Amino acid sequence: MPKIRTVVAVAGAALLVRKAVRSRMATAPLWPMPALETPVSGRPRGRAQRLRVADRTEVADGVVRLRLVPRDAAAGPLPAWEPGAHLDLVLPSGAVRQYSLCGDPADRTAYTVATRLIEDGRGGSREVHEKLAEGTEVEVRGPRNRFPLEPSHAYVFVAGGIGITPVLPMLRAAEASGALWQLVYAGRSRASMPFLDEVERLGRGGRGRVTVLAEDEDGRPDAAALFDGVPQAAAVYCCGPEGLMDAVAAALPHGSALHLERFTPAAATAGSTAFEVELRRTGGTVAVAADETVLAAVRKKLPDVAYSCEQGFCGTCQLRVVAGEVDHRDELLTDEERRDSMLVCVSRARGAKLVLDL
Amino acid sequence: MSNTPQARSDRAPQPIASEWTALKARKVSFAWEETPLHWLPGDPFTTHTINVLHLLLPAGERWFVHVYKQVLPYIEDEQLRADVIGFIGQEAMHSQAHDEVLPHLREQGLDPTPYTAQIDWFFEKLLGDRTLPPGRPRKWWLMERVALIAAIEHYTAFLGDWVLNADELDRRGADPTMLDLLRWHGAEEVEHRSVAFDLFLHVDGSYARRVRTWATAFSALVFLWQRGARFFMENDPTLVDGKASFKEFFAKGRQGVLPTAGAMVRSIPRYLNRAYHPSHEGSTQQAVAYLASSPAALAAEAREKGAA
Repeated sequence: MPKIRTVVAVAGAALLVRKAVRSRMATAPLWPMPALETPVSGRPRGRAQRLRVADRTEVADGVVRLRLVPRDAAAGPLPAWEPGAHLDLVLPSGAVRQYSLCGDPADRTAYTVATRLIEDGRGGSREVHEKLAEGTEVEVRGPRNRFPLEPSHAYVFVAGGIGITPVLPMLRAAEASGALWQLVYAGRSRASMPFLDEVERLGRGGRGRVTVLAEDEDGRPDAAALFDGVPQAAAVYCCGPEGLMDAVAAALPHGSALHLERFTPAAATAGSTAFEVELRRTGGTVAVAADETVLAAVRKKLPDVAYSCEQGFCGTCQLRVVAGEVDHRDELLTDEERRDSMLVCVSRARGAKLVLDL
Repeated sequence: MSNTPQARSDRAPQPIASEWTALKARKVSFAWEETPLHWLPGDPFTTHTINVLHLLLPAGERWFVHVYKQVLPYIEDEQLRADVIGFIGQEAMHSQAHDEVLPHLREQGLDPTPYTAQIDWFFEKLLGDRTLPPGRPRKWWLMERVALIAAIEHYTAFLGDWVLNADELDRRGADPTMLDLLRWHGAEEVEHRSVAFDLFLHVDGSYARRVRTWATAFSALVFLWQRGARFFMENDPTLVDGKASFKEFFAKGRQGVLPTAGAMVRSIPRYLNRAYHPSHEGSTQQAVAYLASSPAALAAEAREKGAA
């Protein structure tokens, strides 16, 4: 039997410890666990939100402009965006389509997108035109920016048809920054070209020069003449059909940086080409065929490389890219992550070679 | 089974083959604007006790993925490898889905960052890769973590099965989006409940390790959970003197809005039984049936078709 004195001493010590712990926790409730200096949780890559179509206007032949606002007017401001950014719209059928934001980035109460009805497309534009009436709700993700406007002393913008949408906020930003800029805006006919009034008004602002080329009046644009009188080392931004972008790339003056925004959807398999992937840590190179994913090619050499969904949403196969330009086709990574990593299950090389940290 | 050695037949885990199902990640997405702070109306304690999931799971399930990526080279069974690959994608989506709830809590005046930053430390540093010499120490630590995950998955499957059957939450008018998140997650946990344990048996399977890691996982879960519930109750901007207590936990268990303490205690000897196999608990059929009607899982399916 322990002596009574021992029992009292132990009980007293326990009480003191309890009191000390309680008073310590009262001053710092989360004591004693340390915290990670730069927390990871609670900063999701993207958040879904449901927005309401507040306004639907036909701004040109076959083009509707949608103004999307939060369902609850009292909700806080929408996430900020920069010119060139796009929004993922989850259409009623479940299809996900990307549309460039064409409103004013300073307006944090609404997002504005415009879409052209493509008769023989995959059905996304038809759904936007037919199903998204005023008052309907739509789930959106983003905004994200794959087409950011870099600071420059001079800009050349080339827009084809609905390709004006990402360019429009860029024109306003260029004008506000005091840079010299010029825009060539090509389309089938003036009636089919959205935002003509606004573009021409911006052109009268002083620093910019706007050339509108309607095919039915002026014929096809002459790519060689696009860059006449352009300042040295101007940044070139082009969004439009493939043919236009190829012509611009071919006529690009020496010293100018070219930025392209493609209409091609995130998960398109069309237009895939073969390329090579170098595995920097393993050593060696694997060839990726046009009809094969980077993941499939890498697994032939390294069967234990981790992956799961194979559709670009779970993020398991994310790998660091050491060199090479990536054609990102996933729907997950943030713009920052895209700078130096890729999801190898869907994304591909833009050029002939990629170097992976693997 | 006639080909099993007689000496082991009554003690070795025997999976039930019909409970197996092919696993794939579902691209779910939840919009939270409409969900109130107390998504179980008038019951902040239950709301916050279940909300602790959003504190633990983003970091925890990210850690599962991190560990399992490293264990892939040790798997020599093609079926198990396919299961683990499906498991990884599902866990990655769980982590993402719960992570998206946290900004919503912050917007409602309940900033979870002080707590989640500690959970991040717990999984990224304390249970992270650590600086170990290559070879045996590194493998030991990997196997220890694989066994820890198997023990934690025993509880996620337990909770998944509970939430699929927690009809009282519907009766009390719980927010449908939150209920769908919990049940989609719960159903996938039930669906893949055998994978972590099968993997542990395949790469190690030591009984001593099973007991040891169970004790660690169970204590850690109880400690982190009560701490998280206290954190939420004390910081809830709408409560004047919010407190979480075990007494209330037992009471809510009896009402059917939380798991009962008795069921939790009874699940302990089951996991420690040498013949334990997760396929003996819960029902894959019920999980698959829920996933076939879950709004989020149906939308994910439509999205997949729409992208094709």
